[in-house]
Amino acid sequence: MQTDRQPRSFLDPQVLSRLAAVPLLARKPMVGGVSGRHASPHRGSSVEFAEYRKYVPGDDLRRLDWRAFGRSDRHYVKEYEADTNLRLCLVLDTSGSMNFGSTGTTKIEVARRICGSLGYLASQQGDAVGLSCVADGIVRSLPPRRSPAHLRLVLDMLEEARPAGPTRLPEVLHELAETIRQRALVIIVSDLFVDPQVLASSFGHLRFRRHDVAVFHLLDQQEIGFTFQRPTRFLDMEGGAAIFADPVDIADRYHRAVKTYLDDLRRVVLESAIDYHRVMLDEAYEQALARFLVGRAAGSGLR
Amino acid sequence: MTFLQPWVLAALPLVTLPIIIHLINQRRFQTVQWAAMMFLLSAKALSRGYSRLRHWLIMALRMLAVAAVILAVGRPLSRGWLALAGGGRPDTAIVLLDRSPSMQARDPAATESKLDTGREQLARSLGTLAAGRCMLFTDPARTPLELDPPGMLVDLPAAAGGAAAADMPGLLQAAYDYIQENAAGATEVWICSDQRANDWAEDAGGWSSLREAFARLPQQVRFQLVTYTQPVPGDLAVRVTATRLERRGEERQLVLSLEVSRPEGGEPTMVPLTCEIAGVSATVELELTGRQGVLKEHVIPLVAAAGNRGWGRVSLPADANAANNDFYFVFDEPLSRRAVIVAEDPECRRVLELVAGIPPEKDQSAAVDVLEPAGLSAAALTEAAVLLWQADLPEGEAAESITRFVDRGGQVIFLPPATPGAQGFAGVSWSGWQQHPQSLKPQSWRADQDLLARTLSGAALPVGEIQVRRSCGIVGDHVPLASLAAGAGGEGTLLARVPSPRGGIYLLATDPAKGSTLASDGVVLYCLVQRAIDRGTAVLGKARQIDAGGDPAALPTAAEAWKRLGGPPDAVAAEPGSQAGVFTAGDMLIAVNRPAAEDAAVVLGDARVDELFRGLSVARMAGRAGITDSLVQEIWRAFLIAMVLALLGEGLLCLPRAAADRPLVPLPLEAAA
Repeated sequence: MQTDRQPRSFLDPQVLSRLAAVPLLARKPMVGGVSGRHASPHRGSSVEFAEYRKYVPGDDLRRLDWRAFGRSDRHYVKEYEADTNLRLCLVLDTSGSMNFGSTGTTKIEVARRICGSLGYLASQQGDAVGLSCVADGIVRSLPPRRSPAHLRLVLDMLEEARPAGPTRLPEVLHELAETIRQRALVIIVSDLFVDPQVLASSFGHLRFRRHDVAVFHLLDQQEIGFTFQRPTRFLDMEGGAAIFADPVDIADRYHRAVKTYLDDLRRVVLESAIDYHRVMLDEAYEQALARFLVGRAAGSGLR
Repeated sequence: MTFLQPWVLAALPLVTLPIIIHLINQRRFQTVQWAAMMFLLSAKALSRGYSRLRHWLIMALRMLAVAAVILAVGRPLSRGWLALAGGGRPDTAIVLLDRSPSMQARDPAATESKLDTGREQLARSLGTLAAGRCMLFTDPARTPLELDPPGMLVDLPAAAGGAAAADMPGLLQAAYDYIQENAAGATEVWICSDQRANDWAEDAGGWSSLREAFARLPQQVRFQLVTYTQPVPGDLAVRVTATRLERRGEERQLVLSLEVSRPEGGEPTMVPLTCEIAGVSATVELELTGRQGVLKEHVIPLVAAAGNRGWGRVSLPADANAANNDFYFVFDEPLSRRAVIVAEDPECRRVLELVAGIPPEKDQSAAVDVLEPAGLSAAALTEAAVLLWQADLPEGEAAESITRFVDRGGQVIFLPPATPGAQGFAGVSWSGWQQHPQSLKPQSWRADQDLLARTLSGAALPVGEIQVRRSCGIVGDHVPLASLAAGAGGEGTLLARVPSPRGGIYLLATDPAKGSTLASDGVVLYCLVQRAIDRGTAVLGKARQIDAGGDPAALPTAAEAWKRLGGPPDAVAAEPGSQAGVFTAGDMLIAVNRPAAEDAAVVLGDARVDELFRGLSVARMAGRAGITDSLVQEIWRAFLIAMVLALLGEGLLCLPRAAADRPLVPLPLEAAA
């Protein structure tokens, strides 16, 4: 935590200290530059045995297993798992719709808290943290780096992020899938107000690039319940045309549309193996992060 | 539909309240910043048609609920499904009640007659209607009788059944006069009838003028027809067509001719008839085949106690209509058949003396007075049944005497003089003799009625065998009874009748001795003259058979002075002229019975009745004997139920859709992995 600066409003030290008890782990092997907590696809020098391999000229003779030679009269080299750090790429949706919140808290504020906490936790365990603010394109971006100074830049960017403009999240995710060079943990924080079918190809692209993808889907209670009583003129927060409607008349069809959307989204995330977490704005973000971290810790050890 | 509180209907514009509230609500919209526009767009695109229909249905049901409340508060009245035309509470309700015998028929399954049912229904309806004033008009008095309260109609003697036929045009005229004289406000005329053709007299000339008169009335007049036209099966009617007192030596016997009729025909059956004379009853069976059975010349020996004059009754067993099961008759010693002959031609006079002086029965007496034209006086006609006049048509005092004679029911037969003059009588005159080179025979004659009708045995008179060598033309309004050539008009008429309210004026257009074979053949002339004498004698006798409700002017004495000798026990004593029974007035015996037309069950069709009321406001309600439900009922409960149903429907349509269509709130958090 930066002690020489004013505390970030979206970072709660108590929440961070509680969450720090659970490591942030990747579900897939990561390719990092240094040693870390995450499994690597390569063999390394950890204490955890991996496999035997036939000796080939040039191998370090110190890794030759003499006991195996004594038993089988053949030369085997003993290999161990490698532990590495991960590259955490935070993708923050800063489209206009993220400025919505019916309970006093907007989606962008919750998104800041989620991104800031995850960035801090990753940085604390030596992982590289990057941030991309996206709307109808990549608005601002910081590549993943491990240094604490870089974390400060990330937090600064989070603090400065302002929701505006339309959403072109699928195109942006395609672009990010191409630009993030190595395997990374990509965490998307968004309200996902796009067609789930279109979103499926973006998720598939990220999966194809061997990224571990997680999604925090932010929704407001009012967007689900649609409990307006009076005729209402709905102004599009992303700049589209306004709609006048009597909520009593269209409530049933609205609920049907929401249900269809959520069912489609559920099918997409299941097919794409996305680590999906829905976060309601009236819910404590700490619980969502805890579920996220615990779920990953339970599934750790995969290589 | 009628409302007891019609001013409440002024609130009907409140029906638009749901629309106004909806429009106001639409203007009170709020503006919100919204993120999930994709769901809104989907919702707007989804099943817009059903949503719009539901929206309009909800609006319509809300309006219906408001309308139902307003109408219920207005206290609507139901007048049957066929009478939904509008109208408010009337100022005056006039009841025209058909009390004729046919209205006293009852349905086999019911205990009340059509008349009783109508009275009860009208009493209830008028009570509900709460008109300012209720007036009753019935035949024959046609004087207005106030019904206060309307319920008294049920027990009112003046509304009880009678023997007289109804005269609907006359009742309507009386109602019209009442409305005119009393300057009544909005009026409802309730007509309760079984639509019998004889009661409605659809061919009467007064209908068109009545229609126009009612249409011209400044106040609103609405007619409510309450009709009971269902046929009554198994109803028999008995009628005595002729009575004659005969002597057989020392014994006397009454010869009766009867007929029994039923409106719908049926299987041949034996009908027991009970003849009661002077307390002595005798039963005779009559075979009824088809619609009518006739018993002719049925002889009933009279006991000594019966006297020379008396009365009796013929009864049928009880059936659906008690009003036509009894028929009263009176009998008396036959009168002397007196004829007065005025003839200028001696030969003609001789012929007429012969045919008038020979009575048809040997125990009857006949007398002929032969007078000169100038010697005719009123006194000479006092006891005469017929006047045979062969001279110039009468003028002056003689004409007046003959007119009075005809008005009291006398019969006159005019024969042409040798030289017809220009004089006229009753609108007709002789035009002049026509000599026929070859003798002519009558081509057509009325064999169904009047003087040339068939005999009681059904045989036709040999009118066609008469040869006419010369005939005299008739000028003026007359009804041909026999014509020498079909369609020949006045020039070819052999026997004509001049229309007259009473009595009979006939013109025989030939000379019976020289001009035709009337005298030589004899039969036709004899029958013709004797029938005229029969008719003339019938109005002179001391025993009279009259129709109930007939012209009061034709009654021998004022009906109020009659004393009742016999009749149905429930007859209204105050109406002797219109109730069946036997009465005595001085030395006269009078039998009053229903008119013959009442036995003919001809019902006027609804279309024809509608035609009679063309251009007037008419509603029809078909009743049924025995069902005494009110014709007018308050139906505000139905409107309240309609309101409740409308609100229920509105509530159901406003209910949120099934929970399956709604996303779970809060949603379960799902993990994809």
